[in-house]
Order: sequence, then structure tokens, then C-alpha cells
Amino acid sequence: MAHRPRSRGRFTKLGIANRGEVAVRIIRAAQELGLETVLLHSSVDEKTAAFRLADETVCIGEAPSALSYLNINANIQGALSTGCEAIHPGFGFLSENADFAEQVEANGMIFVGPTAKNIRLFGDKISAKEHVENSGGPVIPGYRGEDQSIERMIKECEMMGYPVICKAAAGGGGRGLKVIRDKASAKELILSAQREAQSSFGSSVVFLEKYLENAKHIEVQIFGDPSGRVTSLLERECSVQRRHQKIIEEALSPSLDDDLRAKISQVARNLAESAAYVGAGTVEFLLQDGQFYFMEVNTRLQVEHPVTELVLGVDLVKAQLMTAMGQPLHWPKQFQPRGHAIECRLYAEDPYKGGMPSTGKLLAAEWPQGPGRRFEVGFEPGDDVTANYDPMIAKVIVWDETRIRAIQKMKRTLSETIVFGVHTNIPLLQVILSHEEFLSGKMTTRFFETHFSKGLAKQEYSKSEVALIQTLNAQVSGATSIADSENGGAKSSPWSHSWGKA
Amino acid sequence: MYVKVEWLGKTVRVPVVKYQGRLWFHWQGETHSVEISVSRRAGGATAKTQPGVLSAPMPGKVTQVRVAKGDRVTKGQALVVMEAMKMEYTLEADRDGKITELNAQAGVQVALGDVLVRVGEV
Repeated sequence: MAHRPRSRGRFTKLGIANRGEVAVRIIRAAQELGLETVLLHSSVDEKTAAFRLADETVCIGEAPSALSYLNINANIQGALSTGCEAIHPGFGFLSENADFAEQVEANGMIFVGPTAKNIRLFGDKISAKEHVENSGGPVIPGYRGEDQSIERMIKECEMMGYPVICKAAAGGGGRGLKVIRDKASAKELILSAQREAQSSFGSSVVFLEKYLENAKHIEVQIFGDPSGRVTSLLERECSVQRRHQKIIEEALSPSLDDDLRAKISQVARNLAESAAYVGAGTVEFLLQDGQFYFMEVNTRLQVEHPVTELVLGVDLVKAQLMTAMGQPLHWPKQFQPRGHAIECRLYAEDPYKGGMPSTGKLLAAEWPQGPGRRFEVGFEPGDDVTANYDPMIAKVIVWDETRIRAIQKMKRTLSETIVFGVHTNIPLLQVILSHEEFLSGKMTTRFFETHFSKGLAKQEYSKSEVALIQTLNAQVSGATSIADSENGGAKSSPWSHSWGKA
Repeated sequence: MYVKVEWLGKTVRVPVVKYQGRLWFHWQGETHSVEISVSRRAGGATAKTQPGVLSAPMPGKVTQVRVAKGDRVTKGQALVVMEAMKMEYTLEADRDGKITELNAQAGVQVALGDVLVRVGEV
């Protein structure tokens, strides 16, 4: 192929190598900038919001991620065949794959993201830690050796002392990550982590670290411009996590004072600048007893980027696209945060069955708009939520003047949010948002496990509620075969879609 | 659709959808989902799980089968490992006993509710 590699410059047609709500987010930003969009999708994703919104679509493979969203060649061929000049990888999938970034550029397209070198350095969690350690940054003690045998791993756990955390070297987002609390469970957990690492990231390499029991998850959003200047877009707190997957994120963190905020921002900026980092990235830290420790750099857009956007008044996806096009951002040297933003991730799962994944046809969805409310959604009524991919179906984000008002707004918004067809974690989110520890802002990464690991107990319906259910059932069953004369608005209501199918 | 109901002296519009024997409705700030039994009695009569019968709690792929038919197992023992939405789930024996039926094979996709293992009483 006679393509000339290029890393930056004008383009008019963008390929999106992703799916779900983030694909929608990227398509909208690109369209607003006047770009044409091409969705590179798998065979089962034709019934999704991104598919309908994109200017063009091309099927790149079958449902399993390995055959489509994780297949470098399929993505490249799909993009080339539709004349894409650039590719945005979103998050997850190939977003932190240096080979992909290289291949995109080797084929004459622009990779919207950091350089392959940036990704390689930070993508491997082990080399990232070494880079930080060498530059005098704060890291957590651990074992990051090449010997991956189970015997050696257990020996290292014993030497470190439990609890120990086992993580995928190529990973992120909680996959292939286990907390080991004693010798009895060590072998099983390490092997499981290696399997999950292999199936999620294509590499079974894991590393061990002393597990901090009462730490907060704080991360700094950074953005590097091509001249080598890195801007800090301040921090987010994501301490509400389950099985190391974030559930609720906020900006800014209620746990930092100005002094600590300045310090942590500085460490993140220095780290990025020392690596000549370009584009959006996130430096993750654990904060315990006033000390912060480097955890990892995510060389991509984060799921929780909207909370930063709301408190700083920026558009990170447009910033990524502008940077890829070689255009300046005109951002202030130092950002002044305004108010408080919170994001809740909506997972398709049953909170009354311990968070069991829930799949099925989305029958109806209502996202109640209002001032300071934002919804990032990947599915529309009639679409199928399948077990093939991540269970996150939407994100609800709110902004208000203070943290407590933002919490109140989130609770109200979630109480008006309607999703029929798949169960969601909304009831669980409501309980978390009302919990004293969350309200105080003192929650740590153990918060969820300590209070909610058993899930929610389903409450019995009262007599009058059972009567209500019977009434509803009788009405809806009696009406399914005839036109709903009583309910004249049904045809134009959001339910009319599912109504026709029920 | 919406159904109008009288509740505490007020008329309330309740969003409702019925689909495949299940009623979805939004009531007092929360979405509810109730299985409507065939005998038309409302109230969420869901199928009781039988002891010793382990079925797939979600659609997904079997990644490991740790037992063979005829094996003796103890309560809490890991029998089958499944993967769905990229997370691992382990099906454990809910009682002591012997494997009388095994319908799980590594690499095979299973549907929600498929009976994967039966643990018979000894």
C-alpha cells in the first residue's frame, strides 16, 4: 500500500471504531464540527442509536469482540473501504492498543488519540509504573516481574503480606483484577485474573501490588497539545466502585483541598510532559491518609469525561478531534471550576439479584430532560441489549452549584428515568446516593463492598400495590388487541413504539 | 402506554408495558418489573428454584467445567464457570451430592435458564 503515514492534519471523514453511547457521543461531536462519520460496527449492532446516527456504516465482523471491535485489520479495512481519513477509537476495545494506532497511521489515516509511543509506555501498566518510579513519582510497592508462574506469584504475595491486588498488565477498567485476602484463595484468584486478562486484553500478564484498604480513587484529566504543553483539567473522584468498576463519578473531588489539588495536578502534568503526551489522558491515583500514589495512566477518553466537561465548560471529544486536525484549542492556562457534576453509570443488571446482568429488548426508555441534566445513551426502544458487550447502557450526568444540590438533582432525575425491558441498577444508585458516607464525601474504594455487596433485598408488595398491579395488568392485557380510545395520547407518547409490539 | 389509576384519591398516569408475560411499570419514582403468572393471578409468582438444579443465571458462554457426571461434590464447590459481559461467574453446588446431569461444555453458549448441572442427593 502506498500510503504516507501522517499523525495530524485536516480531515473530513471520521471512522468510529466503537459502539454504544460513546459512539453516539463521538458522532455528535464530529457532526457538529462538520465531519462525515462512519460507524465501524459488528453484525449484531445494527439496532443501536449509533448505527442510526452515523452518516455511513460498515459491518466489520461478527458479534464476538475478537472478530470485530478488537480486530485491528477488520477496522482498518472497514475504514479504508469507506474513505475514512481518521479513526476515533472511543474507550475500551482498541483505544489503548498501540499496534492499532500504528496501523491506522501506516494506512494513511489519523489516529485520534495519543501517539503509539505514548500508548505503549503507559498502556503496559508495568512499564508505566517504572517510568513513574524512575521520575521520582509516588508508586505503591509490588511485584512486576516477568516470572508469571503461579508458584512465584504466590510467593510474592506471601512476602508482601495480604491483602494483595492482582491486575492485568495490559488492562484497565477492572477486568482481570482481583483482591487476594489470604493464601487459601490466592491460586484460584491469580489464575482467574490471568484468564480474564487473556480474554479481555489478549495478554495474560498480571502484576501484584499491596492493596490499600481505605483509599480514594482520584484521577486527573490531562490534555497534551502537539507543542508539548500539557494542561491539567483538574480531578475527578471515582471511589464508588464495584468489583473495581466505577459506578458513580464526580468532579471535583470532595476530598482534596487546594494544596493537594495543586500537587496532584502537578504530578500528573509532569508525568505527561516527561512522556511528550499528546491528546486526552487520565492519570489515576489512590489517595490514603493525605498521601497519593500513582496507579495508572489511561491513554484515552474516559467513560466519566462528562463530569469534567460540565465543571470546566469544555468539550473533550471536540478537543481530541481539533488536536488531531492540528488546530489550536484556545483553552485558558488555568481552569476555574464551576459548581459540581456527578455521573451515574446505568448498567443493565438486576440489583435485586446481586447485580446479575440483564439482557433483552429495550421496550421503552424515558430520559427526563431538565436544566443541568445530561444523558449519554446508546440504545433506543426496540433495540436489543445483548450479553456480547459491556453492560453499561447509558450514563446520567447532572450539574448544579454545589455537591449536595447535584446529589439531589441526580436522585430526582433517576426517579423520573424510565427503562423497561431490561433491569437497571437505578434502585441501587438511589440507595448509594442517600447513604451517609457518600453524602459526607468520605467514601473510599471499599465503600460499595462494605455496604452493598449483598445487593438489595426485594420488598414485598403491599396489598394495595398488588391490587394496583392487577389493575395495570388487566388494563394493559385488555387493551393490547384494540385501539386505546381511553388513552388518546398513546400514539404520540413515548410508549407508542413498544405499544405496537407488545 | 399509560394506564390511569385512582391512588389515594388522585388520578395517576402510570407508564406500563407488558411483554412476554412480564409487566413493566413506573411507580412512585421506581421502575417495577413483575412476572405475571399464566393463571392470571398477579403478584409476581416466579418459579421457585429447585434444590440441586443449577441453571444459567444469564445468557453467556461456559468457559470451564470443573466436574464430571457422577462426581461427588460438596456444598459451595465451584462446578461451572461462565462468562457474560466479560465478567466471570461461578456456579456453585447448592448442596452436597452427586452430579446426575451435566449439560455444560466449555466454549458453548447457553441461554438464560438452561439447566447446566443437577446435583442429586446421595
